[in-house]
Amino acid sequence: MKRLTEMKAGEEGVIISINGDNRYVGRITSIGITPGCRIRIVKNDKNRPVIVFTRDTMIALNSKESMNIEVEEAKR
Amino acid sequence: MTDKNETVIALLGQPNSGKSTLFNALTGLRQHVGNWPGKTVEKKEGTFTHNGVDYLVADLPGTYSLSANSDEEMITRDYIASGKADVVCILADSSQLERSLYMLADFAGIEVPCFLILNMCDVSKDQGKEIDVKSMQDKLGIPVILFSAPDVKNYDVFYKALETALENKTTLDATDLERRYAELYEYSAIRNTLGDLKDGYRTSAWLSAKAMEGDAPVIANIKGKLGGSNLSEFENVIKNIERGVLKTGETKFAWIDDLISGSVTKETKARELGKFDRLITHRFWGKAVVVITILLGLLASFIPALPFMGIGQGIASCANPLNDALTGVGCPGFIAAILTDVIIRSLSFVIQMIGFVFGVTLVFGLLEEIGVMARISYVFDNTMGRLGLQGKSVMPFLISFGCTMGGAAGTRVIDNWGQKVLTIALSWAIPCGAAWAVIPMLSTIFFGAWTPVIITAILIVMIIHMWITAKVFGKALVKPSDRCGMIMELPPYHKPKWGSLLRYVLGRTKETFIRSSKVVLLVAFVFWLLSYSKTGDASSTALFKFGQTIEPFTLFFGMKWQTFVAFIASSLGKEGSLGVLSTIYTGAGSLSVGALVDGGAAENINELLLANITKPEALAFIFAITFNMPCIVALAATYQETHSVKWTSIIGTYYTLTALVLAGIAYHIGLLIW
Repeated sequence: MKRLTEMKAGEEGVIISINGDNRYVGRITSIGITPGCRIRIVKNDKNRPVIVFTRDTMIALNSKESMNIEVEEAKR
Repeated sequence: MTDKNETVIALLGQPNSGKSTLFNALTGLRQHVGNWPGKTVEKKEGTFTHNGVDYLVADLPGTYSLSANSDEEMITRDYIASGKADVVCILADSSQLERSLYMLADFAGIEVPCFLILNMCDVSKDQGKEIDVKSMQDKLGIPVILFSAPDVKNYDVFYKALETALENKTTLDATDLERRYAELYEYSAIRNTLGDLKDGYRTSAWLSAKAMEGDAPVIANIKGKLGGSNLSEFENVIKNIERGVLKTGETKFAWIDDLISGSVTKETKARELGKFDRLITHRFWGKAVVVITILLGLLASFIPALPFMGIGQGIASCANPLNDALTGVGCPGFIAAILTDVIIRSLSFVIQMIGFVFGVTLVFGLLEEIGVMARISYVFDNTMGRLGLQGKSVMPFLISFGCTMGGAAGTRVIDNWGQKVLTIALSWAIPCGAAWAVIPMLSTIFFGAWTPVIITAILIVMIIHMWITAKVFGKALVKPSDRCGMIMELPPYHKPKWGSLLRYVLGRTKETFIRSSKVVLLVAFVFWLLSYSKTGDASSTALFKFGQTIEPFTLFFGMKWQTFVAFIASSLGKEGSLGVLSTIYTGAGSLSVGALVDGGAAENINELLLANITKPEALAFIFAITFNMPCIVALAATYQETHSVKWTSIIGTYYTLTALVLAGIAYHIGLLIW
């Protein structure tokens, strides 16, 4: 298990848990990121939001807040 | 139904669902943009007539859900729950169907007639996705259509669905979703305490799910309605729920999966970053690419602006011949002056400005629509976040080096009203093209080889100014709840929808023209009154007398009455300040609104200035006019974009005062040096 921010571009995984306050969890759910959904890292540069791909959508996520997301890496 | 007997349609959809395209196509130029009462959120309404029925369309703010996390979401759901809308049109993006149906799932349980539009069917078709609308319609009990909003020739399906929904009052069948919710222990516990409790159009199931998500307004509402043991039981259950939204969210997506599983043949591939995306999001080159993109956009926006500028200047050149002609036929000088000096000149400024607003709205609207703005936001998120702004704010800032009014028009791509106003407020601190034309010249006259130092000082002050101004206004404009990190979709690049875009741009330009004309006419008239003299001798005008009277006060800021009057004139247009100074020092000629904005200094202005102004005073004057209000049209554009008299006056006053303070500081530093 890894934090989302520790993953590198091209890696895939399944979301295990999302922490944070209600507001953050609500926002991230409504854009389509929920526990159990499959996710792929498109780009993860220093000092930039993380770009992920999930449910047919490319999404940029603030990297500090993304520490709240834990991912089980998928074997390639 | 409105009191004008219009049927009300509310458009509900996530950002990028094509909501604005539909809104523009339906209402065309019959739009009105304002603010929601008491809220810092833009309100867009428009009207159209179909089959003899008058409709009012409310374009609700684009949000991802109907929770209570922001003003936008609160407005959206309060509007829907109030029953003001006769029908709700829910939009989803058929190319990202699963994710964008979240709004539908969040809506389920509100018993207002509705229908569902699966927009961008051209894109999903290209993806090889086949969507069985009939089966979705049967499951949901409302009209569902495949649709492409830019394709205005095929709007019949839309009108048909609209009429069916209105006629049969089709409400969304949420029983299957409720059955799924009931499997959640916390939901059932809440639902039991609620009994048959409803809130207007919102079912107890909807209220229970929201309560489980920790939705504060809903919980407070329920508490107000429950009594006795149910209340304490409800409070007990709520207290022990943590991150309930994760569970209800999963349930909603499970319901969506089930809804589309039989209806969609899915063959979508994972999307990668394209060539341009890799360049614009590059770790090192990204920012440079963004800056170049914006500067090219700025250049491009001059092309549609040029004809307007020509027309505007043409009108201005009629002013003098007309004045001569009028006085020639015996028209009183007073009336001729109002007609030519105030009305024609003002009209000329506004038309020239409109050209630029048109160009900027078109070019940057286009960049927004094809998806480039989202990338810009990503690249500058960290930098602009420090000022409490979105990454997109970098665009208006860069435009403001050319023209503040263009920058203000560019802020329309910022979807949060408070951040938009803050961006405009900060962009005023950026010296515009007119300042760059005046300042280097003035500093060369007084400081010669030291000019680069002065320019550097101005740029440093600009950055500090923006930082302080962000702190001063940030608290009131950008709530802590809006200062959250980026969660933003990077949509695939879309082909531009020219028809819809042009309709939008024309509508916006028309509105800007009307509103700005009012502001410019008013200010020009007041200034004209102040600078009017019967004899044509400038020294007998109210403006000069005012300057002379308060000189003891302005001297503290390093300004004698002459430079102070020029400072006031620079609020209308920076080039004008030199014209005013030469009028004063030569003691010849009269002041006119035209001369003020167009400039026109005496030939020996250099000697005049050196003879009359000391170095510390010159330094004070340079800082005063650089950081003063940019110009009269920037003020008008600020009013147009913020829709707020209050904020326009606050920003205007703030800049006049800070310019004086900066001048004072510069003056006293100058006194130490020279």
